Amino acid sequence: MSLVWKLLKQHINVAQFVGFFFANLFGMFIVLLGYQFYEDVMPVFTSQDSFMRNDYVILSKKIGMGSTVSGRSNAFTNDEIGDLKRQVFATKVGKFTSTEYKVDAHMGINGTEILNSELFFESIPDEFIDIPLKNWSYKPGAREVPIILPRSYIAMYNFGFAQSHSLPKISDGLVGMIDFNIYIHGNGHQQQFVGKVIGFSNRLSTIVVPQAFMDWSNAYFAPDGHSDPTRLILQVDNSADQLSTKYIDRKGYEVENDQLQTEKTTYFLRMMVSLVMFVGLIISLLSFYILMLSIYLLVQKNAEKLENLLLIGYSPGRVAAPYQWLTIGLNVGVLLIAWLALFFLRGYYMNIIETLFPEIDGGTMFPAIILGIGLFVLVSVFNIIAIRRKIISIWKRKE
Amino acid sequence: MNSIRLVSVVPQVFAQQNNLDSEIWNQDIKFEKGQVYLIEADSGKGKSTFCSYIVGYRHDYAGKVLIDDQNALNFKVQDWVDLRQNHISHLFQELRLFPELTAFENVEIKNKLTNFKSEAQIKEWFDHLDIADKLDAKVGRMSFGQQQRVAMIRALVQPFEFLLADEPISHLDDSNSQLMGEILMEEAKAQGAGVILTSIGKHIALNYDKTLRL
Repeated sequence: MSLVWKLLKQHINVAQFVGFFFANLFGMFIVLLGYQFYEDVMPVFTSQDSFMRNDYVILSKKIGMGSTVSGRSNAFTNDEIGDLKRQVFATKVGKFTSTEYKVDAHMGINGTEILNSELFFESIPDEFIDIPLKNWSYKPGAREVPIILPRSYIAMYNFGFAQSHSLPKISDGLVGMIDFNIYIHGNGHQQQFVGKVIGFSNRLSTIVVPQAFMDWSNAYFAPDGHSDPTRLILQVDNSADQLSTKYIDRKGYEVENDQLQTEKTTYFLRMMVSLVMFVGLIISLLSFYILMLSIYLLVQKNAEKLENLLLIGYSPGRVAAPYQWLTIGLNVGVLLIAWLALFFLRGYYMNIIETLFPEIDGGTMFPAIILGIGLFVLVSVFNIIAIRRKIISIWKRKE
Repeated sequence: MNSIRLVSVVPQVFAQQNNLDSEIWNQDIKFEKGQVYLIEADSGKGKSTFCSYIVGYRHDYAGKVLIDDQNALNFKVQDWVDLRQNHISHLFQELRLFPELTAFENVEIKNKLTNFKSEAQIKEWFDHLDIADKLDAKVGRMSFGQQQRVAMIRALVQPFEFLLADEPISHLDDSNSQLMGEILMEEAKAQGAGVILTSIGKHIALNYDKTLRL
């Protein structure tokens, strides 16, 4: 132990430093946790649907009490569609087409049957589907049909089924594990198809098949059936956002769009995280204040020793060093423990997030590491400068 | 460095006194390396003030302190650190020892900085000055006379061109003063250094080149 340290550690108040240590630890931990959590959770809300661009909007008519009782149709007429097409904000308009025949589907994962139901398909023009056409094509009569499933199916499966049947959880990369068998009968025909799951969509809450398959199968299995589309998809020119909102309101249409919901959620998430980080920063700031007070008090109590050291030839830098190392040591300790605590807590919450949203990639602790180092450097630099100035003031007191 | 020169230096506290009768204040006086000086004065004449101007921990004066013809007022912190470490050794009147450290540690804390003397040499001095048994004693528990000897040893464990000893023997008996004078002069000669002693009457019997009245 150096003699200088032996001298200068006199009057160190352990309680004060322990107080600083824990206060700073809490502050640092809260700040890092807030930031890391934000970075981990944000992709859940902002992850883009790979099948639909963000400026696509799905429109439907409101289903109110009136229409249920009167039996008024909620389908769009050709006039209404034509009117919509004329609007400046609507760059592209497409119709949802539904199957006019019955579909029986069996869905299984890895050989285990999990869904067995009569259902229906819908299609939208291919130009609205944002995947390479070769994956999204259908030759009339072929056995294999590409399909896109709503993501909620997968969440339902991962949570409800996989958990209780100890089956593997499905993520985007594992769509190949899904067996999707389709039986269609109508118009005296009966045929079996194999659905090839291309992926999951957050925004299309229906089972989507290529338009080509829809046109062919409707003509083949239900040549007489025809119904007006109940939903439209349109591309909105973002610069005319206001216009579109007004038009949609005036017409009493409903926008089936979780984008707004997502924005609200991310807004609140951001606000909450900011608040939490702010509290953490305040705690950190106060702890920094405690540390500075402790150090100042220590320097004050040891002023005579410090002055003597300076007078026998020690440089201010050398005299300041023990206290600077002391604070840096404390800061390093705080940072390491905060990281460690965060590591365990993150392991816990990431487990939950990954179960909820298997498609989210695990992420890293990089944000917390970067922010932690940043805070550490900032605080340490302030400490070093403050201590140095204090020692210089002792040097100058004789002037 | 070779010289310390004081040109018209007057401490600010004396600025109002017109009848300043001194051979140092408000004079032009030069201290040369290799010479031995005795500065005599009654208390309150500014002996410690004089020392503090030369090693730069007080600057409250009019006039100029020239160290090797350079104005000391222009010195930076690092210049003073270098001066105190390598060029001017100061034996403080108030000693400025560290009571929590042992006698040996008090010397060692300086020697660690300069790496100038061996442990054996330091112990030999302790022995010579009859305080070898106090090596590991806390300085705070030693008498002032013993502390003065420790402080002197500490003043010697650095290279210097000038040794500034402020009332070094105020609490020593004659034989110890004599011993101290011998060691001090031996070391100063070895380094070819100048020696400036202050005294309020009692002083080490040395061959002074010049005696000045403050």
